[in-house]
This record gives sequence, C-alpha cells and structure tokens, in this order.
Amino acid sequence: MRAGTLPSTAYDDMPYTRGGTVDRAEVGALVQSAVDGDAAAWKALVEGLSPLVWSVVRSHRLSDADGHEVYQTVWLRFSQHLRRIREPQKAGSWLASTARNECLKVIKSLRRLMPTDDPQLLDRVSEERTPEQSLIDAEEAASDAERIRRLWQEFEELGDRCRQLLRVLMASPPPSYQEVSAGLGIAVGSIGPMRQRCLRRLRARLDALGAL
Amino acid sequence: MHDDGLDAFDAFGQDPLNEEEFAEQEGELDDGAGEFEDGLLEEELRQAAAILDPVPAELLQFAMDAYALYDLDARLAELTFDSLVDAIPIRGVTDAPRMLTFTAGELSIDVEVTSEGLMGQVMPPQPAGIEVLGGPQVLHPTTLTADAMGRFTSAAPPTGPFALRLRAGGEVVVTEWLRA
Repeated sequence: MRAGTLPSTAYDDMPYTRGGTVDRAEVGALVQSAVDGDAAAWKALVEGLSPLVWSVVRSHRLSDADGHEVYQTVWLRFSQHLRRIREPQKAGSWLASTARNECLKVIKSLRRLMPTDDPQLLDRVSEERTPEQSLIDAEEAASDAERIRRLWQEFEELGDRCRQLLRVLMASPPPSYQEVSAGLGIAVGSIGPMRQRCLRRLRARLDALGAL
Repeated sequence: MHDDGLDAFDAFGQDPLNEEEFAEQEGELDDGAGEFEDGLLEEELRQAAAILDPVPAELLQFAMDAYALYDLDARLAELTFDSLVDAIPIRGVTDAPRMLTFTAGELSIDVEVTSEGLMGQVMPPQPAGIEVLGGPQVLHPTTLTADAMGRFTSAAPPTGPFALRLRAGGEVVVTEWLRA
C-alpha cells in the first residue's frame, strides 16, 4: 500500500466471518470428513462454496467456455489437495485464490494469442443464455423482475473495480473478507472502504434512475 | 506493447484505491444508517446474482463428481514450472508451446503442450505407463507409454482440464490438475 491511501491496518483485526448458510467454522470439519471418505461432506462443501468460486470466475469476465474450465479445474484440484490443505477452515480462501490464479492464467494466455490491448476481445458476449433470457424464465412477478434487471444493468455499468469487487461480495452465502481478498488479490483492509464506496456509487445510479 | 503483464485486469491489488474510479473526493462515509442500507443493497445484488448469474447446474454436478477422483493411492506431483507464469515472454512469439514441470520428490515430469498434441519426459529417465485424465466425465482416459528414456507423446492435445497419472518404479504419481 502506498502512503496516502486508506489505512489498511485498521480493518485487519476484525474477524470478518460474515454469516451465511455454511458456517465457515464448519468448513474445516467438512474438509476433514471429506478426507475421511464422507461424500455428503464433499457435497456440502460444493454447495456452500461453489457460488464463491463462480463469483470469482465471473468477476474476471472470462468467456463462458474459459470460465467453465477454470471452475472445473479449481474443484478437481481441490479434490487433489484435500488432504494437504494446511488450514482446512480456510478452504474458501484456498478455492478463491486458486480460482483467481487460474483466471489470470487464462487472461495471460489470451493476451499472448491476441497481440492487442483491446479489452473488448476479452469481454466476449456470453454464448449461452443472456440475462434477459434467464430473466424471462424467472419472471413471475414482472415488477420484481424489472427491478432486478435495472439493478443488474446499473451494476454492470460500474467501473471495473467496483464491478469486480461487488460480483465477489454477492456470492451466496456472503464470503468472508479473507475469501474476497484471496479471490481478488486485494488487502483485507481495503475491502470495507471500497465496498462502501462501490455500493453507494451504485445506489446513486439507481437513485438517478428513480428505480429503487 | 503489453506482452509482459496483466495490467488492467490484475491491477487490482497493486494500486486499488488510486484509480480515477476512487479519485474524487467523497463526503464523510461512515454512519450506521448508511451501513445498514449498504447491507440491504448488497443483499439485493445477491438475490439478483442468484437469478441472473447462478452457478450453472452442470458445473455444480461436475464439482460433485470431482470427489470420485479423490485419489488416496497416488502421490501428488505439484506444478513447479509453468511457462505461462514463469517464463519471460519472447517478443513477437505468440504461439509458444506451454511448458510445464511437475515435481514429486525426486521424480519430475516435463510436459510440452501445443496445438499438435502433448509430449514429455519423465526424469530420471525410466519407462512408465501414463494415463491422460480428463475429468470425471471421461470414462476411458488416453493411455501412453514412456520409453526407456522416459519420453512420451500424444497426438491429441488435452481439451479442458487434464492431469497425468503415472505408474513408474512401483508407485503411482498424479500431476496437479491443470487447464492447458
């Protein structure tokens, strides 16, 4: 951190174990059970931590094909490392960090294949269902759907850093700040202030629309 | 030229609060009511993501199935060199082969992946039976044989994540999963 930025130490002592359906304290026990052959424990880990892995992948804006392969690689590698993870209770951070590294490798290999600085090429449009299509599927209450669509649209139009940070934060259950830090390579202490700015920036956009 | 870095994409972490995005002065930020509203907005985003950008069902299933590949018998060969990360890029060369080295104790496996296929060598040189694993959906992995010099080749480049499972000198070694 450079001098003049927000103090990063102020938040480091805070125990950021935000709530969620998977109690992060249980993650260590689930890892141990999976090591011992308990398939149900593995399933619980996948269900509880897949949205985090997916969020980290999506925050890096890979193509669908690349994103899917990164996600797959992360879980295959997790199964290999299960016995070797030094701090099983931090399996979420391990997964987030592995996902980030694999995303950066994809971006780096694309850069080599395409001698261009145009980020649009890295930001290919999804070949699968567009948010609009998915939305039609999900559309039971038109006004709710419209609200969500607007929210998502404004979110997508935020700057890269806010979009990236919020995409990881919105994983379900909510990731801890250690996990966000591992997934994005930013200091734990800068997440709180950035989160606040990004959410308020988003709210200002929504207010300007009169949407919410 | 930007052939040497990930700027703009991995710049996160190097200088996160110094971008124009955060450059303007904002008012006093912290108050309890604001924090409460932030939490509500974050929760709305979480609901939106669950509807508009959920984990695809087939990927969830893939991760469930990955447990079947949890291999108690094999020793893990870790990725210790990856040309994508560790090599200095050569200007103008955009299709350099991916060079990988996996290491498990004294044993190492060098692998070169190109669009033509895969070739490699087991070190110290020795014959070995090698399976190219391709994820839980691949029921019949390609099998290769390393000659007395430890060399092996495959005419098919791996698609998607792959790992090599070797039988050499009475033990089983498996490389870390990797996306080629």
